[in-house]
Amino acid sequence: MSRSIIHLNIADFAVAVESNIQPSLKGYPLVIAPLGAPRAVVYDMSDEAYKEGIRKGMTLARAKRINKKIKILPPSFNRYELVMKDLLKETFAFTPLIESGTSDGHIFLDVTGSGRLFGPSVDVAFKLKKAFKKTFNFDPIWSVATNKLVAKVATRVVKPVGEYIVAPGDEKAFLAPLPLNLIPGLIKKELTRFFEFNLFFISQARVLTLEQLKIPFHFRAPLLYDWIRGIDPTPVTTSCNCKNLSIIRSDHEFSDDTNNADLLKRALYLMVESICKTLRNRKLTGGATKIILSYSDGLQSTSKLKLVPSTSNDMAMFKKCVPLLNKAWTRRVRIRHMRLICEKICQGAIQADLFSVGNKETKQAELILAMDKIHDKFGKNSIKAGLTMRVKND
Amino acid sequence: MTQMLSRASKLFVGTSGYSYGEWIDSGFYPSGTHSSNMLDFYTQIFHATELNYTWYQMPKAPAIERMCTKVPKDFKFAAKLTRTMTHEVKKGQWAKEVMLYRQGIEPLIQHQKLLCILIQLPPYFKRSITFRNYLAALLDELAGLPIAVEFRHDSWANDKVFSELERRKVTLVSVDEPDLPNLFPRLDVVTNPDLFYVRFHGRNSRGWRSGNMQKQFDYDYAQWELAQWAATIKTAMMTQAATGGIFFNNHVRGQAPKNALRLIDLLFKDYHLQKT
Repeated sequence: MSRSIIHLNIADFAVAVESNIQPSLKGYPLVIAPLGAPRAVVYDMSDEAYKEGIRKGMTLARAKRINKKIKILPPSFNRYELVMKDLLKETFAFTPLIESGTSDGHIFLDVTGSGRLFGPSVDVAFKLKKAFKKTFNFDPIWSVATNKLVAKVATRVVKPVGEYIVAPGDEKAFLAPLPLNLIPGLIKKELTRFFEFNLFFISQARVLTLEQLKIPFHFRAPLLYDWIRGIDPTPVTTSCNCKNLSIIRSDHEFSDDTNNADLLKRALYLMVESICKTLRNRKLTGGATKIILSYSDGLQSTSKLKLVPSTSNDMAMFKKCVPLLNKAWTRRVRIRHMRLICEKICQGAIQADLFSVGNKETKQAELILAMDKIHDKFGKNSIKAGLTMRVKND
Repeated sequence: MTQMLSRASKLFVGTSGYSYGEWIDSGFYPSGTHSSNMLDFYTQIFHATELNYTWYQMPKAPAIERMCTKVPKDFKFAAKLTRTMTHEVKKGQWAKEVMLYRQGIEPLIQHQKLLCILIQLPPYFKRSITFRNYLAALLDELAGLPIAVEFRHDSWANDKVFSELERRKVTLVSVDEPDLPNLFPRLDVVTNPDLFYVRFHGRNSRGWRSGNMQKQFDYDYAQWELAQWAATIKTAMMTQAATGGIFFNNHVRGQAPKNALRLIDLLFKDYHLQKT
C-alpha cells in the first residue's frame, strides 16, 4: 500500500502570525525585516507585497524603493516558533509522524497508519485545515499525496490558498506539465543548468536518461532522476525539538539587531543563569550546550560543545559558552535572536566530597547556592551578576 | 454492478469511494494492493462509484480525464459537488465555482462516464427561504446535467419539494441513515424518471454525530435490512425510473463493498425467482 502524506503550508507564515496579532495589517503590503539595521534584508512578505515585486532576501532599502509606504515589522522568531509549536500540538492528535521546520509554517504528516482511527487522509487534512482556521485563524494550503516531494509541489501549485489531492499513481502525470522550479530541493545552480539545456518543464527534463543526467549533475543525477518522476522515498522524520524533553533551552531576542560583543555576552550569561537554575532545581547537570544565532536576514548559525565535566554552575558553563558563541558568530550581519540549548542532561553528583577543597570552583558553587537562596527569598531581581546589570537597557 | 434487472431499470451498485487502505485488511482488496491499483481491482467487481474527493477539491479536468481512461467502457461515476457550493458557500463566488466545476467534470461527460452530480447538503441546510432560493439558483446553474440532491435535514421531506424536483427532473436521494431527530427520513420517493438514487450511510446512531467518520459510518447491514431495501428498490423504485444508482457509504472495515455485494445477490435472487 502506498503512503498517505499530508502537507500543510501556511503561506507567508511570519506575515500570517503578525497579521493575526494586528488584524489591521491584513490586505496591505507588509514586509518582515529588521528595523535599524543598515543592510537588512526582507525575511518575509505578504502576498500583496509579493505582487508588487518584493521578494525574500531582497535588501530592505530596495523594497522601500518599490513601495515607499510599505509597512515594515521586525521579525519575532521566538513568537513564530511558539505558534508553530501550538500548531504541532493540534496535529499530534492525528499521527505521531510529523515533520516541520522550526518556524516556517510547513508541516508534513504521515497518516498511512492512522486511517482506521481517523478515516481517509483527505478528511484528516480537511479537519486540520478547519482546526487551524478555528483555533489560530490561519488558512493553510493543504495537499495529500503519496510522498513529501509531490505533496510539497502540490501546495506550491495552489499557493497562496487552496488544496490539492494527488491520487496514488497520478504523481508522474501531475508533475509533467509543471515548471522545474517547483521541485523542492533543486538548487539554483541545477536549475540554471537545466535552463541552459532549454529544459524548463518537468516533462522536458524526463526525456534525459540517467546516464545523460549524470554528465551535468554527477552524483546528484540519480536523485534528480527520481524527483522529476515524482519518486521520493524519504520518510516523514519527527523533528526532535518539539517532543524532546531531555533538553533545556533559553532564548534571548534583541530589541534591536546587534553585533555588539558585550551585549551578546550579557545575553548569554542571562541564558546560562536561567538554564543552570533549572538544572539545579532538578538536581541535574548539563553535558553539552548548543548556541543558535539567528541573523537579521533570517539565516542561522549553530555551534555545539561538550561539557566535561557536566555542570550546573553558572560561571563554569558561561566560561565554556563564550568561546562557543565566538565560534557560532561567523557573519558580520547583525544578530536578532540567540538561543542556548543544554543537552545530555544527567544526574548531578549525589555524594559530596569527603574532604572539601577550598578551590575556586567550590567557592563559586557556594556563591551560586547563596545567590539561589537570596533569589528564593527576595525575588529574582534582588541580586544579580555584575555582567548582566546593563542588559535591561539594551 | 451494472445489471439489467428489468426492461425498465438499469442498476449501478457500488460504494462511496474505492481507495481505502483498510479494505485490504478486510479482504476486499488482495493483500499488498497498491493504492494506485485499487480502481483497477474495483472495476472488476463494481461498475460504478461515487467520487468523494470532488467534495474536498474542485475537480481538475486532466486528472478526471486520466481516471476515465482507466475504467471499463460501461463504468460510471457519481461526482459529488464541491463543498464550496454546498457547505462553504460564498455569496457572489459560488456561480464562478459552478463554472469551474462544469469545466472540471467535462471529461466525464465526453467519455459518457457521468451517472450524475451528487449535491450533498449539510445538516444545517434547512428549508428556509434563503436556502430554498439558493438551491433553486444552484439547480438553475447546473441545468443540463443529471443531478441528485441529498438532504440531511427533515424539513425538506415535503410534497412541495418533491413536486418541484419532479418538475425539474432532479433526483431525490433516498438515504438510509440512523433514526435520529431532524435527519431526513428513509423514503422511496422517485422524482426523476431517468434516475433514482439510494445512499446507505449505516444506522450507527451513537457514532453519527461523533465528528469521526470512522465511527459515523461504522455499520454492517443485517440481511433483513438489505432484503427490505431490495424489495423496496424492486417494487417502488425500479418501476419508476430507467436507471438506478445505489451506493454504500459505510466504508469502515470494508463493510460497504461487503453489503453492496449482498444487496446485488438479493436483487438477483429476486430477479432469478421471477424468471423461473
